[in-house]
Amino acid sequence: MLPLVYVTVAAVTTDLAVWRRLWTTRIPELLLNTLALSTGVAVIDLLLGVSLAWIVTRYRFPGSRTWEWVFILPLSIPSYVLAYTYTHLLKRGSTLELLWQSVAGPEATLVSPFSFAGAMLVLALNTFPFVYLLARSAFKNVNVSFEEAALTTGASRMTTFFRVSLPLIRPSLIAGLFLATLYVASDFGAVSLLRVQTFTYAVYQQMTGRFDNDAAACLSLVLVICACIFLFGERRFRRQSRFYQTTGRYRHPVPRPCTPLAALLMTGYLLIVFMAAFGLPGALLVQWTTEALVAGTLSSAFVGYVWNSVSLSGLTATAAIVCSIPLAYVASGRRTWASTVCVQGAYTGYVLPGPVAALAVLVVVLQLIPQLYGTRLILLLAYLVHFLPVAVQGMEATLQQITPNLEEAARSLGARPVRNFVSVTLPLVRGGLLSAWILVFVQCMKELPASLLLRPPGADTLAVRIWLEASEELYQLAAPPALLIVVMTIPVVLLLMYHDRHAL
Amino acid sequence: MILELHNVACTYEAGCSAIEGISFSARKGDIIGLLGPSGCGKTTTLRAIAGFEPVSAGEIRIQGQPVAAVDRHIPPEQRQVGMVFQDYALFPHLTVQENVGFGLRHGSASERRCHIADMLALTGLSGLDQRYPHALSGGQQQRVALARALAPKPVLLLLDEPFSNLDPDMTYRMREELLHLLKTTCTTAILVTHDHEEALGMADAVAVLYRGQLEQFASPEIMYHLPASPFVARFVGQADFIPGTIHEAAVKTPVGNFPVPQDYRGGPEVVVMIRPDDIQIGENGSCTGTIQSRQFRGSETRYGIRLPSGDLIHSSASSTQRFPLHTRVTLHLKATHTVLFDRNTD
Amino acid sequence: MKRWIRACRRGIPASVVACVLVAILAVPAVSHAEDRLVVYSGRAERFIQPALDAFQAESGMTVQLLTADSTALINRLRLEGARTSADVLITNDAGTLERARELHLLRATPIPDLEDTIPDQFRAPDDSWIGLSGRIWVVVYNTTMVNPDAISSILDLGDPRWEGRIAIPNAGSVYLQTGVSVIREINGDEVTIRFLQGLKKNAGSFVYGKNRQIVAAVARGEVAAGLVNHYYISRHLAKHPEAPIAMQLTDQGDEGMGMILNAAGVGITAHTKHLAHAQALVRFLVASKGQRLFAHENKEYPLNPRVPAASELLPLHRFRVASVPLSHLAQLRDPTMTVIEDVGLR
Repeated sequence: MLPLVYVTVAAVTTDLAVWRRLWTTRIPELLLNTLALSTGVAVIDLLLGVSLAWIVTRYRFPGSRTWEWVFILPLSIPSYVLAYTYTHLLKRGSTLELLWQSVAGPEATLVSPFSFAGAMLVLALNTFPFVYLLARSAFKNVNVSFEEAALTTGASRMTTFFRVSLPLIRPSLIAGLFLATLYVASDFGAVSLLRVQTFTYAVYQQMTGRFDNDAAACLSLVLVICACIFLFGERRFRRQSRFYQTTGRYRHPVPRPCTPLAALLMTGYLLIVFMAAFGLPGALLVQWTTEALVAGTLSSAFVGYVWNSVSLSGLTATAAIVCSIPLAYVASGRRTWASTVCVQGAYTGYVLPGPVAALAVLVVVLQLIPQLYGTRLILLLAYLVHFLPVAVQGMEATLQQITPNLEEAARSLGARPVRNFVSVTLPLVRGGLLSAWILVFVQCMKELPASLLLRPPGADTLAVRIWLEASEELYQLAAPPALLIVVMTIPVVLLLMYHDRHAL
Repeated sequence: MILELHNVACTYEAGCSAIEGISFSARKGDIIGLLGPSGCGKTTTLRAIAGFEPVSAGEIRIQGQPVAAVDRHIPPEQRQVGMVFQDYALFPHLTVQENVGFGLRHGSASERRCHIADMLALTGLSGLDQRYPHALSGGQQQRVALARALAPKPVLLLLDEPFSNLDPDMTYRMREELLHLLKTTCTTAILVTHDHEEALGMADAVAVLYRGQLEQFASPEIMYHLPASPFVARFVGQADFIPGTIHEAAVKTPVGNFPVPQDYRGGPEVVVMIRPDDIQIGENGSCTGTIQSRQFRGSETRYGIRLPSGDLIHSSASSTQRFPLHTRVTLHLKATHTVLFDRNTD
Repeated sequence: MKRWIRACRRGIPASVVACVLVAILAVPAVSHAEDRLVVYSGRAERFIQPALDAFQAESGMTVQLLTADSTALINRLRLEGARTSADVLITNDAGTLERARELHLLRATPIPDLEDTIPDQFRAPDDSWIGLSGRIWVVVYNTTMVNPDAISSILDLGDPRWEGRIAIPNAGSVYLQTGVSVIREINGDEVTIRFLQGLKKNAGSFVYGKNRQIVAAVARGEVAAGLVNHYYISRHLAKHPEAPIAMQLTDQGDEGMGMILNAAGVGITAHTKHLAHAQALVRFLVASKGQRLFAHENKEYPLNPRVPAASELLPLHRFRVASVPLSHLAQLRDPTMTVIEDVGLR
């Protein structure tokens, strides 16, 4: 909350001339770019997510069970890693382009990675699992009677899909798109590597290219306002579009078997999407890492980067859990004015895209405890501000499972609050605690903008190394840390899937 | 014939059939009741007719056209079959008007609107056309479901337990309304239910299913009085089974002797089915018993009577009379026909 | 998966302890060990790391490198004030160093023997920064697509006949900023703005963040020509000797403004706590050994006249250089940025 206030103050007190300059030159372009990028990604996400979810949940063919969880894997690749593999995959003269030219003629070119369309493609491949996951569980849970009812009135399968199935899962789709859009709007890694001018990248450029932070603060404020409008709009929309299942009994959809040809086509489609989003980038990372290992370019410094990342992330995750326990406790308990303020305050970190969060922490630290600047603690603080909501959210869900009755029962048996917490509440939330810890840990491992802007000398993290090497197009050097992050993230992503299945 | 089923079977997984050898037919305007306990295959049969379950043997014809066979499957949307689902499955994101108009694709917009208004009026829903399903009562939802199914003028209407989600007195009213509607529109309908009163009361012919097999297909009267199996006998109303033996063309039982029906082909060890309304408590009867239980049911009182042989038999008596418990009474059997089952095959 | 989770749950106390341990270990606050130097560098690591490695090997000191954008490093030094752990600042642009000097971030420390190594024009008036290596802003062209005679001046690239045929660095590039500053200083705002507008139109989407990408784009023939620092061409040719690229030295005529030269340089921070070590590093970099690394590894122009440039380069004294002193670049920077942003270069 405090960082947000400081950014606002810094922006509001900025010279009007700066505002005017930004307003006439940068803001319209940035707004348009960010909006267009988000929209474009959302559209691609929608097409990919819905079609994949539909195929996977409604048809039975060899391997369809496996495909179901495979599409969560792209979430384990940080956007900047995907972006940098695509700078290689799509560059002129790449194998992919030669392949494409053999199909479409020698004059054909692929979309340039360093373009708006390239960034859109990369981000869409990175975020479609959000839509896919939510669409998948919605398609699995939708009452199939609705579709059958539509068919018996003589509506074709097409009409049924567009007029019944899709509208029924609209709330899930909106939630998925919302996640994806927020991700795109706050993404820094991919847009900075592909140099697409969006707000987050512009904030970073202003912070690094100018001798004061005024312009950065102004842009941040505009971005935060947009994000708030977006959040608010999403809430309203969701409230309006809430549906009521008319009756209780329902029949789960049963996957239909399909002809070998259809199975082949669908498998081909799934394979292409998977290869694009995970298979090819993953294979490239492995290949480059092997090359780096063989060439011996992997210096001892690498161990240092791993240690920096792991120690910082571990520390932040622990701190986040410790901070989030009281917050989540407050959030899951009775709602009072004070508790709402506390929790919503913590959530504002979510609205702040990485560079903005970094800027905010920087401004606050310089005002209050300048000694921190230049130490690792400032990095820790930035991580904490940014990822505390992740922890609170994870903890809140867990704490909500504990009914007040349980605690009251314990207290009626004479347990004092502290013992109560230790012996009743804590054992019950351990699982949630652990998954929240892991979530924060992984988010910190991937964090880029704050690390880039705030790291003290000698504290390069894996993410920073990837970014630095990748922006020099030193693929082999960037690959080992990238592969490490991906490998560490996969179990977490699978854990998410596991929870998801249990929620069904 | 609107609908014909010939030896239809559906298989869920290899070797495990949900229904088998189902045959029955419906003429125009008929209401067919599909009756059976849960899991007997009646919903599967209905879904096979609608086209949601492929058939693994036999054939289904609608208006003489084969729509389902082993090598043939017309998809549901081309069968011109309307269906009312157990949970109504009203599209929650569409208004009543849009729900009812969902299946209408022909004609101009104004014609369609007119048709929807007609359907709403017919089902007594006028004025609710802009409501969303969640703002309707159970009965209203059912009517919307009915109007939606009827709007495209299907040749056949399928009703899957349409009353199971309504409270009892609502059920009673809706049954009458539905019957009236079906008869006035001369709609051929298949009604799936587990409630024998509903089936017998509404249908022109009833098919009783048990464990995936068709037990009997007959008019309600025959079904009730001449059930084809003890299961049917028990399922379509209260029935007692009194053991007896055939001896010289007569059945000897603890409640008296009966003639053996001509078409009985079984062994000499039999049970005789007796309905409560076949037994009167009176003075000059063929046997005696002790009243063990009494249930007042409004128009009648049902007594459970223990026979000296130890068998329990039920009797309906006019509720104006009242016999105290544990009194000895004489029973009078007024059987016009005897239903016998072979004891060894049941 | 379930078992795994359960196992993890059991391990929670252990993992918490581990985390706390991590916490304790992770905060060995920046130690001020005597034999450690912290270098803030705005140069790409591969251009500076070899020199630093050589210094480490020779002196036995540990050099810790923090790579970031030059401007960001100035901001950082300003914010850190006296607490900074940085001892030496290296940037790829003399303007940034001059800016740092104006902000009193650098220390004016005369280094013995400096007179003999780096000429006056490549140093700050008070020696608070010292140029290390020079680079000239040249036109790289594809030899199969362009007749070099067509480019006599950099300003020619603003001409409409280059539309869609040139690649330029993005607005964040200090080379571009320096180049534009020099052009403005010599030709005035009007000419500059016209030039930049032409550049923007001609480059279209071929706007790159890295010189290397521009050279590669020219080598592949995607564009005919581009604006880069000279040594990127040499580096590309070293790797791909067959590449059809060459550099054109512009503005050499009698009326021409001369080549735009910039220097990467080094300065010792005002608040360094390791002055002697820092001076040792600077001495190493300006002496023959360090300079040769810049000349041979990087293909830059060593500013120490006793160290010859790479053989494939035209020696520094053989062409004319624009007459804007390096120390003057800093004050040109801000108005230049405004011009660049007004034109709307990306």
